[in-house]
Amino acid sequence: MGKGGEEFIMKSPDFCYYEALSIEDAIKFKSNDLESVILAGGQSLVPALNMRLSSPSCLIDISKIKELKNITKDNDFIYIGSAVTHSEVMQNKIIIDHLPVLIDVLDMVAHPAIRNKGTHGGSIAYGDPAAELPAFAVAANAEIILMGLNGIRTIQASDFYHGLFETDIQNDEILTSIKYPILKDNQKILFDEIYRRHGDYAMAGVVANIEILNNEINNLKLVFFATGTKPEVALKTSELIIKDGYDYSNVKNMIKTELDFESDLNSNAEMKLHLATILTNKILKLMET
Amino acid sequence: MQGSKNITINFIINDEIFNNITVPVRQHLGDFLRSIGLTGTHIGCEQGACGACTVELDGKAVRSCLILSSQINGSVIKTVEGLDDTLMKKVKEIFLKHNALQCGFCSSGMLITTKEILNKKKKLNREQIRTEISGNYCRCTGYQSIVDAIEEAIEDNIKDI
Ligand SMILES: Cc1cc2nc3c(=O)[nH]c(=O)nc-3n(C[C@H](O)[C@H](O)[C@H](O)COP(=O)(O)OP(=O)(O)OC[C@H]3O[C@@H](n4cnc5c(N)ncnc54)[C@H](O)[C@@H]3O)c2cc1C
Repeated sequence: MGKGGEEFIMKSPDFCYYEALSIEDAIKFKSNDLESVILAGGQSLVPALNMRLSSPSCLIDISKIKELKNITKDNDFIYIGSAVTHSEVMQNKIIIDHLPVLIDVLDMVAHPAIRNKGTHGGSIAYGDPAAELPAFAVAANAEIILMGLNGIRTIQASDFYHGLFETDIQNDEILTSIKYPILKDNQKILFDEIYRRHGDYAMAGVVANIEILNNEINNLKLVFFATGTKPEVALKTSELIIKDGYDYSNVKNMIKTELDFESDLNSNAEMKLHLATILTNKILKLMET
Repeated sequence: MQGSKNITINFIINDEIFNNITVPVRQHLGDFLRSIGLTGTHIGCEQGACGACTVELDGKAVRSCLILSSQINGSVIKTVEGLDDTLMKKVKEIFLKHNALQCGFCSSGMLITTKEILNKKKKLNREQIRTEISGNYCRCTGYQSIVDAIEEAIEDNIKDI
């Protein structure tokens, strides 16, 4: 066997590596070096480094911090630690028993080998507009828990996303966990997306939070992803559906007025509008089953 | 509290113990493996999409192009060169029998992915097998023969327990 080392080609830009010992340690490092970035699973960050799309001064590895690796539950909420991997979430007893729809969602997130490393918090913090979890968090009325120099702060998932890959995380902050309300008996979360290959980012997707009363939809919150720059709630469309049910043209017109569609490599804005409309119908059909 | 640009780490690859190895922190695991002569791991897209570089890290399949060498301290790694137990020897024979490879570029990743599928000890239909290998590109076979091989490997593996 040969010997590893400097003489070999490097693809990533030059940066340093720091393994954080605790949340506080990571926060301290991050606030002292504003060019440093958090490394969680690396499944979005390392591709960006390999392609030299990003050139941080230092990576702060948080993946071994124990406090970030728990899933817990109390009477009203489930808490998923930010460094829990997608695969670990899918195999967790609390999730299987109390939030099984999240497993169906994660089944669409990349491929097993990527889910073995990629983390829940990493996906929420990255805020890819085509990613499933940010939309899921918004639809589920989740709260994002952040920790910084001034302690802990909590923000609604719907307020957390500002724009394309832009979130409310401040320079000194780390996302520590995501807090999901436990569903009520008459409440369901449904999810669907349209993709080219299983595990690829969606061409368009929807997560719906539905409350049923006397066999009728009493409350509906449709959240679309892979349609614009961030997960977006379609409030008026949800109201229209409760009132009048599904009609392709009506729903399409309404979605068009309230969401900002943006083309991406997968599909153009017009196509995404069509897919969002169709997905709304698919979700309603799912609800009946 | 300075981070470092080189790191000295310990790890095990294919049952061989490596102690006090100094690596540049930014070198990805795939490049590191190839740099020490383990060239069975192939580097394709370097963004996690093609699956060619898949290796086993602490018992789980991962993309070696998306792991930094600095992250493997204390880990146990298995590459295609280390798939020499009875089960994986049999799987390689089954791959050959079905012509589940042509150029061989995807095979190391396909075999590691197959190992993870077999670890689950679950019967899968062809559709489910396709989903499991959806993260591994093959540009030669059209997948049909790979699915044939994995189907037989699963049958064989379940029969043995
Ligand atoms: C081929 C491929 C296909 C994929 N397909 C999909 C898909 O279909 N759907 C999907 O949703 N995702 C997909 N992903 C992305 C995957 O889900 C990643 O796991 C996820 O986006 C990022 O998680 P991570 O832990 O790897 O984060 P990292 O890559 O480590 O970090 C991502 C970003 O978030 C920041 N960050 C991470 N954790 C924290 C934290 N706790 N606090 C503050 N900042 C933090 C980092 O600084 C970085 O900027 C895919 C990835 C690949 C390589």
